[in-house]
Amino acid sequence: MIGTYDFCGHYEWTFAWLEKKGGHPLLLEYMEEAISRDSQSHARKLIESEGFKGMIKYWGHTLAEESPEQAYTMSSREDVVRIDMHDCPSKGFLIRNGLEQHRDYCDHCIQWIKPVMDDAGFAIAHEHNHCGQCWWEFRKRGDSSAASQTGELGGEADARLLPNWKQKTHHLFSP
Amino acid sequence: MNSPEPCSPPSVLPYTDTKPQGAADFFFAINATFRFVISKFGTEGWVEYLRDMAREYYRPVWHAWKVGGLDAVARYLVQSFEAEPDAVFAVRRDKKSVVLDVVECPAIKHLRKDGRIIVPEFCQHCYFQYSEMARLAGFHMRLEGGNGACRQTFSSEALPPQDMKLIADAK
Repeated sequence: MIGTYDFCGHYEWTFAWLEKKGGHPLLLEYMEEAISRDSQSHARKLIESEGFKGMIKYWGHTLAEESPEQAYTMSSREDVVRIDMHDCPSKGFLIRNGLEQHRDYCDHCIQWIKPVMDDAGFAIAHEHNHCGQCWWEFRKRGDSSAASQTGELGGEADARLLPNWKQKTHHLFSP
Repeated sequence: MNSPEPCSPPSVLPYTDTKPQGAADFFFAINATFRFVISKFGTEGWVEYLRDMAREYYRPVWHAWKVGGLDAVARYLVQSFEAEPDAVFAVRRDKKSVVLDVVECPAIKHLRKDGRIIVPEFCQHCYFQYSEMARLAGFHMRLEGGNGACRQTFSSEALPPQDMKLIADAK
């Protein structure tokens, strides 16, 4: 059975298979159609109907399930939800098992989360370092606030304060 | 005198995680991926996807089966199903075969619980994946049942061709 235990491994292998079959456009179509709109319809429902509360419910459940070591923090104010990931359970699985079939596994998160946030009326600021560390901020679309300064919202748990934050290539997404 | 510490058998899973079982919601993505691949490439393309994955991604597994024989198949089936949330199953080792009885399929159970539309061909994936891995390891594999419970037979002796009508549509 293609199971959940090593899901991140065959998920990443699937990215490479799809890209080989239909190029990057097919992979992006997969992320939006299959993952964002089909697989993650439960996240979409929560966020569209409950906004920030829905985000906290969704990631509260899914991160607790995927990262029982709680290698992340979630912080929020009335105008923003922030996630700091210190040791991504998904990328961490690939790193620990020496799996790298696709050149940019981390891109899958923004590719499925962005369509959800676009449809629900939220904007994203996000940065990842391809080593299992990243941060996210979600604000209502139209809120002109810039992403928080280091430590301002995430406190000491801000991923940008991690000693291993500045490594490899960083991808930064702004609203 | 101290009692020896109880110990678990060493893992035969090629890719291991820090937690004992996977997150059940990943079944949503597996089901959605099947739907997407079938929509783009048809059932034949989906079978190709499964066989490619069996050959490439699961290479360490079928290689271990080739070296370790049916005992290795049995150990893998036990450990891989123990790592799935809410799986109810039994593995029996006979002289020339290993029989996996899936009493309650964790995938079908979780997809139903969340009210997901399950790809009708879902249960065929175990046949196409495992039969390819068995072939590469020098065995034969057949499946009967599906839609929540099934029997999978891995044999060192030739088996009658798979009758696809014996694999139920998932709903």
